[in-house]
This record gives sequence, structure tokens and C-alpha cells, in this order.
Amino acid sequence: MNNKTKINTCTLGELMIYQIALSIEDGILAFHGFGSPLVQLALHLAKRNHAPRLILVAGATYGINPSPAFLTPTTNDFAMNRGAECHLSIEELFDLAASGRLGRMFLSGLQIDRWGNMNVTRLESNDRLTLKLPGGGGGCNLSCDADYVTIWTAAHRTHADAKGRRRYRLVDHCDFITSVGHRTAEGLPRSSLSFRGRGPDCIVTDLGIFGFNNEGHAELRAVYPDTSIELIAENTEFDFPFAEKMTTATLPDPEMIEFIRQLDPMKIHQRELSHDDRERTFHLNGV
Amino acid sequence: MYTRTDKQCALGDLVSHVRSGDCVAIGGGLSCREPMAVLRELIRQDIKGLKLVGSAHGIDVDLLCGAGVVAVSAESYVGFEQDFGMAINYRRACEAGVVKVEDNCCYTLVQQLRAAISGLPFMPIRSVQGTGFLKLHPEFKTMICPFTGEQLLLVPALKPDVAILHVHYADQHGNLHIEGPPVADVLFAKASTKVIATVEEIIPNQELAKKGVTIPYFYVTAICEVPYGAHPTSCYPRYAYDREHTAHYYQTAKDGADSFLKNYLRPFVHDCKNHNDYLEAIGGIARINRLEQWNCGIKQWMQLYE
Repeated sequence: MNNKTKINTCTLGELMIYQIALSIEDGILAFHGFGSPLVQLALHLAKRNHAPRLILVAGATYGINPSPAFLTPTTNDFAMNRGAECHLSIEELFDLAASGRLGRMFLSGLQIDRWGNMNVTRLESNDRLTLKLPGGGGGCNLSCDADYVTIWTAAHRTHADAKGRRRYRLVDHCDFITSVGHRTAEGLPRSSLSFRGRGPDCIVTDLGIFGFNNEGHAELRAVYPDTSIELIAENTEFDFPFAEKMTTATLPDPEMIEFIRQLDPMKIHQRELSHDDRERTFHLNGV
Repeated sequence: MYTRTDKQCALGDLVSHVRSGDCVAIGGGLSCREPMAVLRELIRQDIKGLKLVGSAHGIDVDLLCGAGVVAVSAESYVGFEQDFGMAINYRRACEAGVVKVEDNCCYTLVQQLRAAISGLPFMPIRSVQGTGFLKLHPEFKTMICPFTGEQLLLVPALKPDVAILHVHYADQHGNLHIEGPPVADVLFAKASTKVIATVEEIIPNQELAKKGVTIPYFYVTAICEVPYGAHPTSCYPRYAYDREHTAHYYQTAKDGADSFLKNYLRPFVHDCKNHNDYLEAIGGIARINRLEQWNCGIKQWMQLYE
């Protein structure tokens, strides 16, 4: 790769893309859905690096192994599908998942609880609809059917209003369950339902990375160079345990960063980040 | 079965196949190949009380909600992705209680359509159990599988009254050819009682057969040639997504319901007698040509989105 200007830093977006990419195993079939530029870039990064045999299914177009001309502002665009080697139909993709052949799915939520349940359908107050969210597409089905789920959100950080109240992203309780994690709202374990998939195994956020423990509860696994356990606790509504070996997340190397920048020249992925977070950068040499 | 030799009609007559209160499946997906010209004509003809079913949608559903013609939404997703965010008119209508929210999920919808296509009362799925969708859909039932003993969810057949599609090519008999991803169009066409389609270009059957028939004629009730009928969504390889027009649309909706009526619905829907008036209103042939330039190079393509 032609690397004339030496890359010394990476952005928060690039760090998140890299961390999402690390959750992707080689040789599996994975689908990036729509409205998910961080995930779209992560899949292409994984395929270029550690997962060359990844069967990459583009969201919305259902093209397999495309080489996008550039990342587009909407997902169902020919630019995202350029060079696809073959195509699925909507029913074929979901059949593959239902029959246990979708290795990993990527889902997000406006509310994410400790068990990895998520809400992208509606906020409620006393059973009354207060905010209609866009809806989950096929996320509900895929949260049950995909082998594993990577959860991501770029809005973990909350800001207190004048009265000190926060609207958390990582919440105690989801107003509505769009996609399922490890325990239902009624407290039933996932194993009591006839799902094929094993549920979420990580949450990549703008502040750090969670795994899930044996009980299916989110546990903090890594912080970022500019975050801390205290900061993460302050921005999380539920209490959480820690992984045995807490780490600071590793950063992508310059070649990976250059690859991301070439694939997303319009910086579409930054639209997932808050304005402040677009300015967060990390020195690659650890300073 | 629709066997008439010539399915062609005027846009106004095409839309008259939709009745107020119908369950409607809109083809395309997100910013791609939405049958926008038909939807604008629906609004002009004051057809209302519609129930919408579908997978991932955006401006199509939002426009109908903004015009007040939707009673129920059973879509899986309605929004503008990371491009502009939430669908403002849709949200307003749902939160005001004007549109009843019956959100669904993609595979559930697929299985419900397949049940209709196969002439079965339902299809089983594993997923959805343990989620909030069971509350939104009391018609979903569970059963213990007699073969494996597992608990499965049964979702009833869904037979929309009308599927509304926009496709690249058709012959006059109504055979349809779609280039690129058909999204749920084929399932919609096979499951629905009626299928109406606008078409970029009507061509002789021999030419169409060479391209390949995506949907056979006997599913199709009526067609109408409406070039650029998907605008402002894309119809690749003919034209790209009109992001600039969509940005204008979004801003008028964001400024409130009155603004949307005055600055979008009137100039681009009500004040346009027909599709040609609409094409003039959006900037005429110059604007369309710009959207057709997407394949002149990556730079030109990207410029459409900046």
C-alpha cells in the first residue's frame, strides 16, 4: 500500500471498526445489514486481514463479497455492491440464518440491557408510545438465529440534563424487546427457547468493550486509552462485573487505518459518532 | 390470474386498483427502486386508510404518512439510515396515534408471504419468541412441534390486497424484469391479490425474455410506463439516488407538518397534475441527467452524495 504520509494516530471510529472486525471469525458467513457503516467497514477490514475466507453478505443488496467503490450514505446502492461475485435473495439470507448457517450478525439498539436484549422499536411511558424508533428490520429474527451476535453502539456516553437525569443507552430495562439476548424480560434463560443461535458475545461501544459471562450478563472486558472503569460505570445504568483480565483495547495498525480511509473517503461512518467523538484520536505508539 | 394481452394503462387508472383501506405491499427497499410516482398519484387521488406491510423502507412510507393516507404500519424498518436519521413524518404520525404501530420483522414477513404463496394457513419459525413483537401481534401463536417437541411460533399467511412495484422493463403482457436486488418484490407479487407496476421502459417480449423474466405476467394486474418513476430513490443502472432532493424533503418535514404540506406536498405532489409536471418541478431533464452520470466515474458518483 502506498503510504506516503505516515499514519501516527487513529480515530475513535477506526478503533471501533477494528474492534468489531476482531469479533469476526474466518470462514463464516456474515451479513452487515443496513444503517451500519461501522459494521460495513469492519467486515471489509476483517476480510482483508485475518478473515480472507469470510463469506461477506452486503446488507440490502444481498451481494456476496463485493468490492465497494466507496461507502455510501444509504446501504441499498450499487456502489456498495460493485463486483459482488454472486447474490442472495432476501428469503435465502434469512433461510441460511434459520438453518444455522449465519455465523455472525451485528445489531445495535437505542436501549441495550445487561443480558444483551435491545430496543429499536419504541420508547414507552406507562405503556404509551412516547418515541417511535425506526424498527429493527430483520434484527429480531437474526438475534435468535445467527450463531453469534456482535452488539455495537457509538452512543454509550450519556450527558446529564439540568436536573442531573440521563437517558442511558446501556439501560436497566428495555421499554420493548426488539432483539433477544441471554435472558427474556420475564427472566427466562435463552436456553429455554428453541433458538439455534447462541446470542451476543460482545458489545463494542464508544467507551469500551464488554463480553458476556457464563450467566449471560455483560462484563467489562476492555477500556480505551482515554476511558476508565469509572467513566464507563457512570455512563451505564446497570452494575456490571469485570472480566478476569481487564485490558486496554488494542489499536489498528497504519495499513488497516489507510484501508478504512480509502474505503470511506466521505467519512460516512463518522455519522454514527457524536460531534465530540469525531475529534477523539489515539496515538498508535501508545502515547 | 391476469391474462389480458395488453396490461398497459395510464398512471391514474393504474392507481385506481388501490382502494381506501387496502393492505398494501410497497416494493423496493430503503433508497432504491421505490414506486414513488404511484405513491404521489395515490395521494392526489385521496386514497386513504392504508395498511402498509414491508421490510426496510424510507421515503416511500414517510411520504404516505406525511400525506395522512396511512392507518396502520406493519413495516420492519422506516427511516433514512445514517444519511438523515429517523423518518420524521412517520414518527409524527405514529406518536400522534394517527398510524397504528404493528411493526414486524423481515423473516416473519417472508414466512407469512410464503404461507400465502403456498396456500397454507401459516408457517412456523423459531425466532421472535421472547420479544415484544408477540404483544404487537396477538395473532401469532405457539405450538409444540409434533416431530421434535420444540416450541415454535406460527405466523399466519399474509395476502396483501395490492403490491405496488417499480421495475426496469416490462412487455405489454405484463412480464416484469428487475435488474439488481429484487428485495421482497417477487414475494409480494406472488402473495398479493393484485400487482400494479410502473416501468422505466416497455419493450417487446422477445427482448424482455432475453433479459430474463423476474415476475411472470399472470401475477400482474396492470402496468404503466413511467420513466424515472422511482425518483428520488434510485433505479440503477439507469439513475442514482437523488440525495439533494431527499435532503430538501427531509428539511421540510423536520420544520413541521405545516412546512411539509406547504413546501413539499403542494409543490411536488398536489400541484403536479402528472409525473411530467413532477419531473419539471424537481429540475427537469438537467437534474435527471445528473443522476444518470453516476457511471461516468467514481468522482462523479461520489459528488452526487456530497
